[in-house]
Amino acid sequence: MKRMIYADNAATTKLDTDAFEAMLPWLQEEYGNASQPYSFARKPQKALAYARATIADCIGADADEIFFTSGGTESNNWAIKGVAYGRLSDAIITSQIEHHAILHACSAVARMGVPVHYLQVDSTGTVLPDTLVANITSDTSLVSVMMVNNEIGTIEPIRELADTAHGRGALFHTDAVQAIGHIPIDVKTLGIDMLSASAHKFNGPKGIGFLYIRKGTVIHPYADGGAQEFGMRAGTENVAAIVGMAVALRKNCDEMSETAARLRKLEDHFLGVLTNAHIDFVRNGSKNRVPGNINISIKGVNGEMLLHRLDLKGISVSTGSACDSVNTQISHVIKAIGVSSEYAEGTIRVSFGRDNTETEAVTIAEAIVQILTGRKHTSN
Amino acid sequence: MKTKECSSCWKAPLSKDEVGICKKLLGEKTKTFFCMDCLASYLDTSVEELNEKIEEFREEGCTLFK
Repeated sequence: MKRMIYADNAATTKLDTDAFEAMLPWLQEEYGNASQPYSFARKPQKALAYARATIADCIGADADEIFFTSGGTESNNWAIKGVAYGRLSDAIITSQIEHHAILHACSAVARMGVPVHYLQVDSTGTVLPDTLVANITSDTSLVSVMMVNNEIGTIEPIRELADTAHGRGALFHTDAVQAIGHIPIDVKTLGIDMLSASAHKFNGPKGIGFLYIRKGTVIHPYADGGAQEFGMRAGTENVAAIVGMAVALRKNCDEMSETAARLRKLEDHFLGVLTNAHIDFVRNGSKNRVPGNINISIKGVNGEMLLHRLDLKGISVSTGSACDSVNTQISHVIKAIGVSSEYAEGTIRVSFGRDNTETEAVTIAEAIVQILTGRKHTSN
Repeated sequence: MKTKECSSCWKAPLSKDEVGICKKLLGEKTKTFFCMDCLASYLDTSVEELNEKIEEFREEGCTLFK
């Protein structure tokens, strides 16, 4: 059987074993509806409360500020639309390099007449606070800037951006899908009003996430129906997934610093092989980036070709360009940071996770060298 | 469109799928084309895997394989 190396952890991660085992009782044994008043519902109710408190503790929030959702996309849609629906004439400010869950939600409210402004970023993908200062007005209802960019891993200056937003009376939301469980987050210290998260990015199950909403934040409910999630997001809770999410997040946060140190070493091993083989590439993103993210643009190479050739070798990575057989489409992030055209088409993203090994990092880099040079490269 | 031949065994003409998979795996600007057997050999893979890739591209709607 062909060896498989998974290095696309920014897309999704493997479910943690402890999280998986913690989920099982809630699927077949304790399957009661947590909203019901009888005793069979008590254990699911307690499990939800414990999970909510655990998650809140991981980000410095209070338990009643955590609202379970189906994931990052729903959380982002809720934050944007939930604020916009109450303030249709006020502007929303976001950045050019947000995930499509933000950009498309902004497009949707723009079609309703909400003014939306897209902040430019510098060549590292950083939203400079001065850029926000130049664009924000007292008619801005919401500023939404991601905490970590999903393609290039850049960590944004969230505290400064939140301070700027608050200085003009605007709310501040951050899409923290790529950040939570990977870098330390304290919503109070950072001044965040709303924060989106998705469990499958931190070794939790798919289809579950949450939106942190600071107490006192004025936002419309996302779904009408039952009284779940404090009447803000109706729908029977997925207890198993919520429990799994809490276990995975707690574990990732507890092991965060040692995981980060290990991932930095994997990055060094990977980049060392490419450099020693004299591959002409640039590394995209800021030096202040999430551990494990390597986004590189290789001169004169087609990134999609490289992705498929690696796939044939059992290696899963991502690309920053896609071919529709007529044109090569460069991602909006790679365009926004101004990667030159001779490099941009050759963009790939390798995102290591806690299960990757040094051997795998070297194997992937050597496979790239072999594809690009037609020869096997040895690092010694 | 000008027909293509295999750069290794000179099989000609190459099918649309063979030309398409060469563009996908060797680069859209490639001037080198192979038949399925020779491409599998060149890439150290199997014809079955190449056929699977072609089906994936076709399902994604890639016009190279329509």
